[in-house]
Amino acid sequence: MRAALGAFLFSFVATVAQAELVVVTSPQTGIERLSREEVINIFLGRYRLLPVGITAEPLDLPIDHPARAQFYQRLVGKHLAEINAYWARLIFSGRTRPPRVVSDYAEAIRVVRERPGALAYLDASSTPPDLKVIFSFED
Amino acid sequence: MHAKTMSLACSLMACAIHALAMGHETADDFTLRGFGTLGLARSTADGAEFIRDLSQPHGIRGGRWSGRIDSILGLQANWHIDHDWEFVGQVVSRLHYDKSHNPELMWAFARWEPDPRLQIRMGRIGADFMMLADSRLVGYSFLPVRPPPDFFGPLFISHFTGLDVAVEAYLGQGLMRAKGFLGKTQEKVASASQVWDTSGSDLRGIVLDYQTGPWQLRGNFAEIRFSHDMEVGFLTTPLRIYGQMSGDSAALRAADSLAAKGKTTRYYALGAVYERNALRLQAMINFIRHETRIFQDSRAAFIQAGYRLGAMTPYVVLSRWKTFPAKDLQTLADPDLNAAYQAFIAYADVDRKTLSLGMRWDFHPQQALKVQWDWLRARPGSQFSFVHADPRWNGKTNILSLTYDFVF
Repeated sequence: MRAALGAFLFSFVATVAQAELVVVTSPQTGIERLSREEVINIFLGRYRLLPVGITAEPLDLPIDHPARAQFYQRLVGKHLAEINAYWARLIFSGRTRPPRVVSDYAEAIRVVRERPGALAYLDASSTPPDLKVIFSFED
Repeated sequence: MHAKTMSLACSLMACAIHALAMGHETADDFTLRGFGTLGLARSTADGAEFIRDLSQPHGIRGGRWSGRIDSILGLQANWHIDHDWEFVGQVVSRLHYDKSHNPELMWAFARWEPDPRLQIRMGRIGADFMMLADSRLVGYSFLPVRPPPDFFGPLFISHFTGLDVAVEAYLGQGLMRAKGFLGKTQEKVASASQVWDTSGSDLRGIVLDYQTGPWQLRGNFAEIRFSHDMEVGFLTTPLRIYGQMSGDSAALRAADSLAAKGKTTRYYALGAVYERNALRLQAMINFIRHETRIFQDSRAAFIQAGYRLGAMTPYVVLSRWKTFPAKDLQTLADPDLNAAYQAFIAYADVDRKTLSLGMRWDFHPQQALKVQWDWLRARPGSQFSFVHADPRWNGKTNILSLTYDFVF
């Protein structure tokens, strides 16, 4: 918990080494690209039907993983505390499920490979070639 | 501080510390989560007690610190049966109509989502009056210490038993969500020094949300048809006796106007949220129309702005709540009875406004501290929205609040 708190407070005052994050899925999902709005709607639990007609299953990294704060900051311009408050509103309304939390990039890659429809954000440099990049902040 | 408040505060702290120590995530198909607020507030007024909403039987007054109005603890279990089905149960301890903090079953429903575009919930469900959230009790989830009482104060219904059906679809550049709900309420409220049982009242409504970019827009309609009268026999009985004996039909109509059973109250609201980067703006306006004359029709609005500066978010809220006496009030021939009837109707008068300034400090990923100062001004004599008000009170009070909010 101390590490999480340290990472959280540090994220307010410093820019963590910025990874180039991309959103990936398995080729079996059958989609080529997603717009920023679609990625926002999937990861914020607003609308999880993919254009190919299957349900998206977003994956989150742990709360103290620097990529998590960076991903939401770049996606919607919000700090992790605001994202947590957002999810508190939805979870305690019983409306929708937050993204499943995986332990690290390796587990995210494993789940994406196994489950069509699973989506994860990864450091572009650690993205295996068999996964499909469907959204990049650099585009 | 009151012994019960201290006890609740200690329970909240112990629960939070335990939860944080244990971590918050369990197996993926069963999760146990919680939320809470440990709140202290003091109101400078001696002449009336400030309350969070009309469900609260007593509030704060006289410059004394109290934790009674804002302290809350909630626990929620989610059980995912399979991809489409989930069961949700939530228990909350908060100040009740009977002055207790006994645990209350807030939600107990099954959620069926056969398709991401369709969601059906059945059981005990939250009444959806806030934007984005069914619950107004999760302090960590909203910016101010409490949802603006000028706006949410009259909305004492928290949950109902029935179902809601929500459908979602892309519309133009944005996402439209439409929800209809239908059911019966279970709650009792403290009102005018008595407990009013509203259980069994029919509730139904629709909510439309449209999200596009940084904007969220909302339209909301709900109506409730009350199942029970309030205890107003002290006035309706003499009105009926007088009406029958004197032949003054206005007295009989006046007595009828004070019935609540079978009467409908309708709620209309519009809202907008704008969130971009560190800026958060929200505004809502509502109209409430009553068939019973026990309450007066009302309008309320608030505008809220916050700007995040690192872990700190200063914010300001401006809110207003005003009632309007009915134009079809009866005038009775008997001056004493007429005065009593008019005075009773006038008791439901509300005319107040509040300026709130506050700061939220997100010192932890799941915990926040807030401090808020409220400058509340009510028209002297408009005391319905307060408790144990002295008729000579000038309607002015300043409220200082401190809260520790957490989720786990």
